[in-house]
Amino acid sequence: VNVSLAIDAVLALGLVTLAVLVTSGRALFRDIVLFVVFGLIVALVWARLGSADLALAEAAIGAGVTGALMLIAHRRLGGTTTFEAADRPAPPRFALPVAILVGSAVAVIGLSALGIERVVEGAGAAAQARTGETGLRNPITGVLLAFRNLDTLLEMVVLLAALLGAWAIAGPEEPDPVHRATRDTPLVAALLSAVVPLSVLIATHLLLAGTDQPGGAFQAGAVLAGCGVLLVLTGTLRPAAAAGFVTRLLVVAGAAAFVLVGVGAMAFGSPPMTMPGGWAVYLVETAMMLSIAVTLTLLFARSRGLRGEER
Amino acid sequence: MSAAEVLAAVLLAGGCVFFVAGTVGLLRFPDVYGRLHAMTKADNLGMLLVCAGLAVLAGSWRATFLLVLVWVLGMLAASVSAHLIARHARREGGAAGTPSGAPADPPGGAPT
Repeated sequence: VNVSLAIDAVLALGLVTLAVLVTSGRALFRDIVLFVVFGLIVALVWARLGSADLALAEAAIGAGVTGALMLIAHRRLGGTTTFEAADRPAPPRFALPVAILVGSAVAVIGLSALGIERVVEGAGAAAQARTGETGLRNPITGVLLAFRNLDTLLEMVVLLAALLGAWAIAGPEEPDPVHRATRDTPLVAALLSAVVPLSVLIATHLLLAGTDQPGGAFQAGAVLAGCGVLLVLTGTLRPAAAAGFVTRLLVVAGAAAFVLVGVGAMAFGSPPMTMPGGWAVYLVETAMMLSIAVTLTLLFARSRGLRGEER
Repeated sequence: MSAAEVLAAVLLAGGCVFFVAGTVGLLRFPDVYGRLHAMTKADNLGMLLVCAGLAVLAGSWRATFLLVLVWVLGMLAASVSAHLIARHARREGGAAGTPSGAPADPPGGAPT
């Protein structure tokens, strides 16, 4: 028996089973936990496919930070763990036809994709051949920051829009009970004293490693955001009613640095969004990492700003 | 198979035994405290054995150091989460032997 094929088969079956369980469940909390497990399996699948960058991003953002966001949302919704039968709206009558249509479309696309000959001279090959010109040795970072950086800029804008949307619909501040339980045990402080410096170290490593190994701003930002979530959960960082200047600056830093560098390049006769060198990539990536970390932490804290612990 | 590979296989298999035992305990034990007890065994010893097996396979000091770091961090997170979950369960009145005080909302946040 081919062992690696068996592992792949278990992963694929597990993914489909988990997807069905996540979407058909009746207990919200259980669904969220299953979704996190789903994200971890997806990360394993990416790792099996040799995409360490995507595996890292999926584990950190897809499973980790998204899971934390959904858990805190579940708590704020009042912690209802089961749906009553009456609460579940009847499926609209188009549900079945639409499901069949989409299912067949996916099947047709999948089947025809099987028959397509592999394109050797695609954009990917061209990008790989010219990655060296960007000064980056990781082709993923090359695509994200140089070849297709308008997409990356728009991702930062989407994140910013999500935060603005959350700010717009967030109700008045309520005292959050999350941190209270953790304040009278010395273990939490001990955990923080080890985890916070290490998170900063790992995030910095991921950011710097992104130029020639798997890693980059998204993974690094997610690690820092995880650290921020921990600080919010333990009450070390508290929600604040208003965003200070530094918070606002950090939230827009990623998109702003990207635009400034990209538009600035035009002043020197380069096409828009050209990265003028390795320093620009580091600058933009650092700004993106900080924006991602602060935005996700603010979304988790459901606040406009953050302040230190009250002593 | 070389001696190192045999050793690694034994360590990895041993680690998997602890993880399976921990999972069975999590599913079968009646109360929060028993489940935590089962899980921490998997977290500590199971991960130690898996990390040791991987370190033998990797055969470099750098990888060994990183794996030790992974194990220490995992253990640190697991102990603190277990402590917080158990304390939460006790405060919510979950007596030993009853499934009450189920960790629906552990104050420690995401499960480790």
